Amino acid sequence: MSVFMLLVVIAVLALVGFVIGRQRALASAAGNIKEMHSLPLYYGWHGALMVIVPSLFALTFWLVIQPLVIERQLVGYFPPEVVESSAARTLAMADVRRVAEGLDIAIAQGAMTEVQADMVRTEFGSVRDRLADVGVALGAEVTPQILTAAQDYRKYAVVGNIGRSILTFLVALAGLIYAIRITNKDFRARNRVEQVIMALLSLSSTVAILTTVGIVLSLVGESLRFFTMYPWQDFFFSLTWSPNFQGGSDLGLAPLLWGTIYISFVSIIVAAPIGLFSAIYLAEYASPRVRSVVKPAIEVIAGIPTVVFGLFALVTLGPILRDWIAEPTGWGNSGSSVMTAGLVIGILNIPFVSSLADDVINAVPQAMRDGSYGIGATKSETIRLVILPAALPGIVGGMLLALSRAIGETMIVTMGAGAAAKLDLNPFEAMTTITVKIVSQLTGDTEFDSPETLVAFALGMTLFVLTLGLNVVALYIVRKYREQYE
Amino acid sequence: MKDLRVERDVQTETNKIEARGVQVFYGTNHAIKDVDVDILDKTVTAFIGPSGCGKSTFLRCLNRMNDTVASARVEGKILLENEDIYDARVDPVQLRAKVGMVFQKPNPFPKSIYDNVAYGPRIHGLTRNKSELDEIVEKSLRRAALWNEVKDRLHAGGTGLSGGQQQRLCIARAIATSPEVLLMDEPCSALDPIATAQVEELIDELRTDYSVVIVTHSMQQAARVSQRTAFFHLGNLVEYGETGQIFTNPKDPRTESYISGRIG
Ligand SMILES: Nc1ncnc2c1ncn2[C@@H]1O[C@H](COP(=O)(O)OP(=O)(O)OP(=O)(O)O)[C@@H](O)[C@H]1O
Ligand SMILES: [Mg+2]
Repeated sequence: MSVFMLLVVIAVLALVGFVIGRQRALASAAGNIKEMHSLPLYYGWHGALMVIVPSLFALTFWLVIQPLVIERQLVGYFPPEVVESSAARTLAMADVRRVAEGLDIAIAQGAMTEVQADMVRTEFGSVRDRLADVGVALGAEVTPQILTAAQDYRKYAVVGNIGRSILTFLVALAGLIYAIRITNKDFRARNRVEQVIMALLSLSSTVAILTTVGIVLSLVGESLRFFTMYPWQDFFFSLTWSPNFQGGSDLGLAPLLWGTIYISFVSIIVAAPIGLFSAIYLAEYASPRVRSVVKPAIEVIAGIPTVVFGLFALVTLGPILRDWIAEPTGWGNSGSSVMTAGLVIGILNIPFVSSLADDVINAVPQAMRDGSYGIGATKSETIRLVILPAALPGIVGGMLLALSRAIGETMIVTMGAGAAAKLDLNPFEAMTTITVKIVSQLTGDTEFDSPETLVAFALGMTLFVLTLGLNVVALYIVRKYREQYE
Repeated sequence: MKDLRVERDVQTETNKIEARGVQVFYGTNHAIKDVDVDILDKTVTAFIGPSGCGKSTFLRCLNRMNDTVASARVEGKILLENEDIYDARVDPVQLRAKVGMVFQKPNPFPKSIYDNVAYGPRIHGLTRNKSELDEIVEKSLRRAALWNEVKDRLHAGGTGLSGGQQQRLCIARAIATSPEVLLMDEPCSALDPIATAQVEELIDELRTDYSVVIVTHSMQQAARVSQRTAFFHLGNLVEYGETGQIFTNPKDPRTESYISGRIG
């Protein structure tokens, strides 16, 4: 039975559970709703949930476990060097799956019979050609091991699918029977439904957290591998970055970190005041008509893809800065520069700062403004002395958010600031950031076994720690002021 | 001069504020209809009337707080010492420094108690140094009957006070700028009887220098603290006169039925 069919079966059983649960509860109270602990609907939902939740769990569990089990069964067909390396094993398994799929398709199209698919041998002609005839393209000729593995794979999969159907069906049925047996007018269906819903909600948040934990763990693991190949002192304290895939690289973090901080700094210098001031204008001074035009117009900026901003940096702003400022003053002759990227990222971040600040300013109660005006304060005094302090936590939060975005920005930096890792104070020099180097270390080479590629994880870890630190600071500031102001 | 009897003298007869033909509209809602009123100097004037009759609205006209409400439109003339406060030459900001206001709901700033009270003196530059400012803060808090409760935590947040304390803080904040007229919109609605008595005492004391306008739902309070009473009903000023006369011998049947509790 296919997964889709199983889902249909579950849905049908759930419907049965719903109807019977409701009926039984009503029947046990002789149709008198006042005698029942919960409304009839809840008994129905209880019946349905008892079918859906456990059977879906069983199904998901099986779907995750089955490939792992089959892979272990097939390990015997592969040479030891393939089994050792996780990358090679994954590739071999992918081949097996692809061939098995090809055989399935061939059978479905009538090019082979079930028996032929089991009997086919590489010795009697190219399996690759036969599969190509039915539209399954394979990269390389199929080896005998892969072919037998694929044939076994198909057998196991058939058994597995039957097991899956039986297990799921039994679990769904058990849930249904349980729900039916437990339902009577005194059963607290409403509370049970509440509990199940709460459990599902908290499960969702757990999934989110676990994903984060998984990402961090994989980052940490790979970073540690990197540090076994490359001394951490050199990574953190070396001042040069010159990777060399032939070996003997210098992988110092400093120039990249400096580039990141410098560009983010320039961007926040642009985004913070412009964003904040436009928010103040919109929230306090602009007439409703102006506001209804200007606010969406600013927010349009946020919808522009960053690569378009990158083009703007590369083609327009970079050359302008070079021809009008850098060259006349003798600061440099490169169109790509910290200034170009910083300014453009700053512009990109204006709507973030402004719309967050606008929200928090609007959230300051009108009574605060009245209190201040009532004492004879002007509009700007009121904004400066009452509204901004009250809105400060939110504003700071918005700015730090903008800063993390700037730190994580890749495209604009690639196109606007170049790829030269340099430690320099001159903002008209080309520099680069951590994110750009992560990308450039990973493009081309997919073998994660040299320090030159693994460094990407150490860089990612650094980036993560950096933004995490920023968020912690943001939370701290927000808390501190909240205590003071409430 | 602190008797609580209804009959008492009004100290002066000079007009502080003269309102003529005042109309207020919120969009199309006609909230105040053709109100004429004279607020006397060094006098407490009470505005009474059923909820929604426009007391707060009229009060807010007197210091142009309605300017901050986008939908509000005010017509007519309001003279403060013979100067039209709605004249284009008048700066509403300066007007509000002269005509202070305490709002119906307490609205302390999210700042320390000290900074709340010092807010007005600071923006108007009323003091030359810290000790003068300290003095004003202390004096205002004392007059608002709050000093004893907060003197040890002047630098704690003003929003951490109880509702009644917050209202007294707002009163202290308003009187710290020494306004000539103080508008109070139900200043005692969140106060216990003791604090109410203290605020009433303060109002009576303020009368020696200022003119005070107070909105209240308590007939007893109006009778206790005011010398003049205005009764509003459905946006109209129904009756205005000496407090004793309004309470003992109202001319309009609507006033009489409101005072005796038949409309509300
Ligand atoms: N900001 C506003 N926008 C629109 N209408 C308003 C506004 N403020 C008050 N109104 C309307 O004006 C009328 C008078 O309101 P006002 O607040 O002056 O009454 P009030 O006499 O102070 O009542 P209460 O004793 O309940 O405080 C009411 O009908 C009210 O709905
Ligand atoms: Mg009111």
